[in-house]
Amino acid sequence: MAPVTLKSITKSYGTTPVLHGIDIDIADGEFVVLVGPSGCGKSTLLRMIAGLETITGGDISIGSRVVNDLEPKDRDIAMVFQNYALYPHMTVAANMGFSLEHRGASKAEISERVNWAADILGLRPLLDRYPRQLSGGQRQRVAMGRAIVRNPQVFLFDEPLSNLDAKLRVVMRGEIKGLHQRLGVTTVYVTHDQVEAMTMADKIVVMNGGRVEQVGAPLDLYDRPANLFVAGFIGSPAMNTLGGRITPDGFVAAGATLPLPPGLTPAANAVYGIRPEHLSLADTGIPAIVKLVEPMGSETQVTMTVGEHTVIGVFRERLKAKPGETVHLRPDLEALHLFDAATGGRLN
Amino acid sequence: MKTDLSPRMKVALYGLMCVLLIPFVFPTWWMLTSSVKPISDIFAFPPDLWPRRFDFTTYARVFELQPFARQYWNSAYIAALVTIGTMIVSSMAGYAFARIKFPFSNAIFMIVLLGLLIPSEVTIVPLFQMFLKWGMINTHWPLILVPIFGAPSVFATFVMRQFFIALPGELEEAARVDGLGRFKIFWLIALPLAKPALGAVAIFTFLHSWNLYLEPIVFLSSTQMFTLPQALTQFTDAYGGAMWNIQLAAATMTAIPVLLVFIVAQKQFVEGLAHTGLKG
Repeated sequence: MAPVTLKSITKSYGTTPVLHGIDIDIADGEFVVLVGPSGCGKSTLLRMIAGLETITGGDISIGSRVVNDLEPKDRDIAMVFQNYALYPHMTVAANMGFSLEHRGASKAEISERVNWAADILGLRPLLDRYPRQLSGGQRQRVAMGRAIVRNPQVFLFDEPLSNLDAKLRVVMRGEIKGLHQRLGVTTVYVTHDQVEAMTMADKIVVMNGGRVEQVGAPLDLYDRPANLFVAGFIGSPAMNTLGGRITPDGFVAAGATLPLPPGLTPAANAVYGIRPEHLSLADTGIPAIVKLVEPMGSETQVTMTVGEHTVIGVFRERLKAKPGETVHLRPDLEALHLFDAATGGRLN
Repeated sequence: MKTDLSPRMKVALYGLMCVLLIPFVFPTWWMLTSSVKPISDIFAFPPDLWPRRFDFTTYARVFELQPFARQYWNSAYIAALVTIGTMIVSSMAGYAFARIKFPFSNAIFMIVLLGLLIPSEVTIVPLFQMFLKWGMINTHWPLILVPIFGAPSVFATFVMRQFFIALPGELEEAARVDGLGRFKIFWLIALPLAKPALGAVAIFTFLHSWNLYLEPIVFLSSTQMFTLPQALTQFTDAYGGAMWNIQLAAATMTAIPVLLVFIVAQKQFVEGLAHTGLKG
């Protein structure tokens, strides 16, 4: 186990910069998720930590060593790849023991470590099989087994669940989290799925366009997003955002006036952000026309029109309203988010 | 592939296939049957599809008239060395062209491929002069070295390159994380996965060497050194006329390894070419 420090990391392909000075501190044993849309640079950053991409500028440290110029094998890391990258011509046991074999471990030690990892991941019955004889979930487990068998200082995961179906993804998510809790190894995990990020991370790093937008604990990011991008990216369904202006009478958006907490400075160009679950139904309040009702069982998701804006609400009660009917909404002002429309930065 | 042909269509289709097969099968049939006919029966008209008389002494005569066992050995060991050498050279070159980034790699590969456009007849005289200078005339070295570093190897390099290009990059990256350097990645990961392509390379290289005719007649002069295609032309009577039945008996024995290779390895051959994207 070791902390990982990224200091002013930049990366360019030719004259095209893709990472613009990334600073991240990952504590010893921490589970950090790099999340962001496709092309934001999160996988490139992970590959730079692994040593599979060169660093244009800045320093990467693992433990007390700067590893910029070290080969992947000398960084004491293990990586789980998106497509598993299991060696097709080797059995599960050979795949798992391969790195130990090439680091001069004895046969007894390899066997002991492989069996230990296989027991943790429930792979014992599969040790003599080839990757082609395994299901997607089993392959994923073998890829993790290959990573843990060496007892590295850092685990790196590059979108490891993206090839699995939704149900298996939930199961494997729990397994990876459980594995981290059991082994306590520093982990850097890349995903574009914000649900994975929220459920697994000790700390989330939200990236966009080669920059870090915000770093924090999952609920901190959810409750106090630093800017419009994070507000829109974290949370499903996404936060409702309505452009307009802050006035003493409330927030004036196109075709609607929304309540505001007292004492706000007027602003001509602002965004009103409210999460779907922070809207409740009331007898009076903001009038909204129902467009679509989606009963989920435990809750009901309703898509509505407020003025000229589309707003989504998630309600615990089972709503009987039909499309075209008018309901009244009351936002929880304690959970209100206000952003500057020009910079995207948080105002409250 | 599942087809829904009616029985009548099936009969018609198989009938057509049998007719189309005749030009391919007939020469082999003619060779086999003529090799056990007395020479006078070979040119009988109308020709006999089944021998009227069987004469198996032709096979013994092959070994009396030529050092045929020695010539057989010459062809076998030359083909084996050429096959192994070509597999080594082409797999390494193909891997380098496919997976290692170096300046002008694509341009260099195109230049290498251009070598395929030069007919061997064009280069045979300079090659003869080169091997003469090296004291290798009437040795087997030219027959081993020319294919390993010549056109067959270029084609084999192309096949191997196409295979290695399709190899997932993540496998190499996983191997790098596991502690392997470039050569070990090639040797322990890429090469074992390239078995189908290597199989295809081995088959066509072996066949090319086994059937080589122009180079042996240029570089070899003593019958002890001859290879089989060259030896086949030597079965003549005192007047220089071909001893057809004996020659065809020798040809039959020459064709056996080729047929065996095809029968045993045809699946491997097709798979190998399919993996390299060369299959139509």
